[in-house]
Amino acid sequence: MSGGAATARRGVGFHLTHLLLLGGFSALIFYVTRVVPETQGSLWTIAAIGFLLLAGTLLSELLAPIGLPHLTGYLIAGIASGPYALKLVDEHTVKNLSMVNSLALSLIALGGGAELDFATVRRSARTLGWATLVQCLFVLVTVTALFFVAARPMIPFTRSLTTPALVGVSLLWGALAVTRSPSATLGILSQTRATGPLATFTLAFVMTSDVVVVVLVALVLGCVRPLIDPSAGFSLDSFATLGHELVGSVALGTTMGLVIALYLRLVNRQMLVVLLVLGFGASTIIDYLQFDTLLTFMVAGFIVRNMSNQGHKFTAYIEKTGTVVYVIFFATAGADLDLPLLRQLWPIALLLAGTRAAVTWIGAPISGRLAGDPPVLRRWAWSGLVSQAGLALGLSVLIAREFPSIGTGFRALAIATVAINEMIGPVLFKFALDRTGETSRVMAPSFPSMRPPPMP
Amino acid sequence: MNAILILVGLLVLSYLGSFLVGGRSVRGLGLPSGVEYAALGFVLGPRALGLVGGDNLAAFEPVVQVALGWLAFVIGLDFGFAGEKRVRAGSLVLGSMSALLTGGAAACAAWFTMDRLGVGGTSTDRILLAGGVGAACAQTTRHAIRWIVDRDEGHSPLADRLNEIAHTDDFFPLIAVAVLFALEPTRDIAMKVPLRDWPAITIGLGLLLGAGSALLLRSEMPIEDTWAVLFGVSLIAIGAATRLGISTLTVCFFMGIAVSALTGHHGELRAMVGPTERPILLPALVLAGARIDFRASPALPWIAAAAIGGRLVAKVVFGWLLATGSRPARKAGPLVGLSLMSSGALAMCIGLAFALRFPGVVGDTVLAISALAATVGEFVGPIRLRRALLAAGEIVDAKASPADAAKGSPPSDETRDSRGGAPI
Repeated sequence: MSGGAATARRGVGFHLTHLLLLGGFSALIFYVTRVVPETQGSLWTIAAIGFLLLAGTLLSELLAPIGLPHLTGYLIAGIASGPYALKLVDEHTVKNLSMVNSLALSLIALGGGAELDFATVRRSARTLGWATLVQCLFVLVTVTALFFVAARPMIPFTRSLTTPALVGVSLLWGALAVTRSPSATLGILSQTRATGPLATFTLAFVMTSDVVVVVLVALVLGCVRPLIDPSAGFSLDSFATLGHELVGSVALGTTMGLVIALYLRLVNRQMLVVLLVLGFGASTIIDYLQFDTLLTFMVAGFIVRNMSNQGHKFTAYIEKTGTVVYVIFFATAGADLDLPLLRQLWPIALLLAGTRAAVTWIGAPISGRLAGDPPVLRRWAWSGLVSQAGLALGLSVLIAREFPSIGTGFRALAIATVAINEMIGPVLFKFALDRTGETSRVMAPSFPSMRPPPMP
Repeated sequence: MNAILILVGLLVLSYLGSFLVGGRSVRGLGLPSGVEYAALGFVLGPRALGLVGGDNLAAFEPVVQVALGWLAFVIGLDFGFAGEKRVRAGSLVLGSMSALLTGGAAACAAWFTMDRLGVGGTSTDRILLAGGVGAACAQTTRHAIRWIVDRDEGHSPLADRLNEIAHTDDFFPLIAVAVLFALEPTRDIAMKVPLRDWPAITIGLGLLLGAGSALLLRSEMPIEDTWAVLFGVSLIAIGAATRLGISTLTVCFFMGIAVSALTGHHGELRAMVGPTERPILLPALVLAGARIDFRASPALPWIAAAAIGGRLVAKVVFGWLLATGSRPARKAGPLVGLSLMSSGALAMCIGLAFALRFPGVVGDTVLAISALAATVGEFVGPIRLRRALLAAGEIVDAKASPADAAKGSPPSDETRDSRGGAPI
């Protein structure tokens, strides 16, 4: 039986059963946390992972009929069960889940790299080039200007800053606004199995923009340091570090990709364990070497896809493993959303996020016309570029560390803005994929229709 | 040693384990109990080389709990089935009888030894220790007779019967664990629950979560979502059980039983979940081995000798009963019960669960005795099984004529391990 038929059969009863069971599992978790208020060590993290996985999966199925992406379901499940809502998962537990995040990010980057076909990227190099230039420039300039104008009346932590310092902070915000979300893009593409110009463009754009953003942030950091901290001079140190990071990441990623390709060719078994080893072991080594994790894994995936004939096999393995990990990753991101902070900063966060989205929307037809893109891209290319997630938050931490005087306020505002983009972006992208007809109609194999594998 | 390095090491072990499941032959590996991995853990652990320190073991407690819970879930899912076939009612009774007899004998032997030596702490500690030893010694590993059944399914009455017994003797040991854990409830609980209710809560929680999973799995859903449901609910079960201080093993075992009974897709689920057993078991055994402390108590050698002796005697008695009532067993002789001496994964899991729940003399002693019982079982069980099956005429001697050997000899060293079977 096809998955489509199965989906058609799902009626009110199906969703009601799932809703009731979700309520039942939530009640159980709630009851246990109230009956035994104190928890020893990190053992409750186990139940938290299980609950986020289950709640994310069930909620995404419940929201699917109204056209919302699974990712939104995962985020809502996380927000609802997190420390600022039902408190089923506390802050300590959310912090403990960071190990899952490194695994998820490695899979996301590997998957993203493996989706990038060199021939396709080369064919759309003109599109990518113009889009990168226009989007980066438009977003950087407009968001920087808006931040500068809106800062004094609306953003408390900027009121004590001098004008040059405010220019510096505005530029940092502009650079942060340029970041996109590879994880959200991959999450949506993994669910929809979309193929077509929009899917290919968005994937290629967000993956290459990772490199662009890393360079841009390093450049802006070097330039604004003397503006924010008058005692500091213009420094090229960050570029030396950046060079080390980029070259090292590409070299390590290439080696890793070749090893994976060789393994797939010669052994091709137990990829789940291999991916876990990569996610935990290799991530630790990359952190130790101070390379860029996302870039390293992305290059590895790219090499497997383009320098061997194992790419499709590899992509299938990552899709299989990734789905469960993505649920936990995004649900954890939801649980981590600081709702009180969002409530406090929502007017300015909404203004900044809205302006960024609007500029991205305006930039798409302009870059499309310059590159001679097909109408579908001119109309919808912006839709996948609104999401922001881990990368933006990671950079905000870096900026906060570099400039402690504005750090806390800057990071809080970044969290609030990213939260809005994180919620709206995936919905827009899925809507666009559905409208352009790129969403796959062939569903994943389903249980129990699958043929059982032979028992060992 | 760095925790991530240990985690990667454990993943490598999982990888090796998956090859054993997958059918690749690795000469010298693949004992039914997996006790060799526990030995490896002991060598690497703080009581030998010290490569894995005590702090590392504490850091890995969540991983161990997940492994224990998942293994118990897999065992529960498989309970009452031998291969694809449902076990006969008679085998279910015999399996339960074997577990009660063997566990009871080991527990009594341990109790009387402690009484005689005047050791074991408070009476609760003694009950926990004796009961834990009994629970750990009660069962026979499900893999003990597997190679015979794989070879000649449906034509080996004694092997079939022994295989079914080995598949049905997990029930009472896990009930016993639930009862024993209830004797020392968690101190952090905000409400008063009578001691007698805890075992019922343990079993009820497992059945409830299993029924919930089964309801979710009744409808058709993508394979990834099926995994999410199974894994998600199992983790909730494990987390809730550890927080409440009840037996994770029992909760997950009953969850597996409920899922198996209520979904109607038992075969498909087993096909999905079964291959995960060995890759999860091996790292768990290594971590269990690293926790073993043979100096947990000065009386440990005596308690261990008594419990293992009691187990041996109980198996002989059970074999005698079996031989009395069953024609194929009669042919094998009264010592047929010793064929069931191989204890395995569940025994080590019970030992490890005790070590985590009751750190100190009680937990460490139960774990050490579980490992010793599994080791003794490896020396006795496979040899006696071979003799029993030879005597019953279900296999022929490998030293017999080539024609006879071709008809029915056991697999060679190279092939036996690929089936997870025992070197016989």
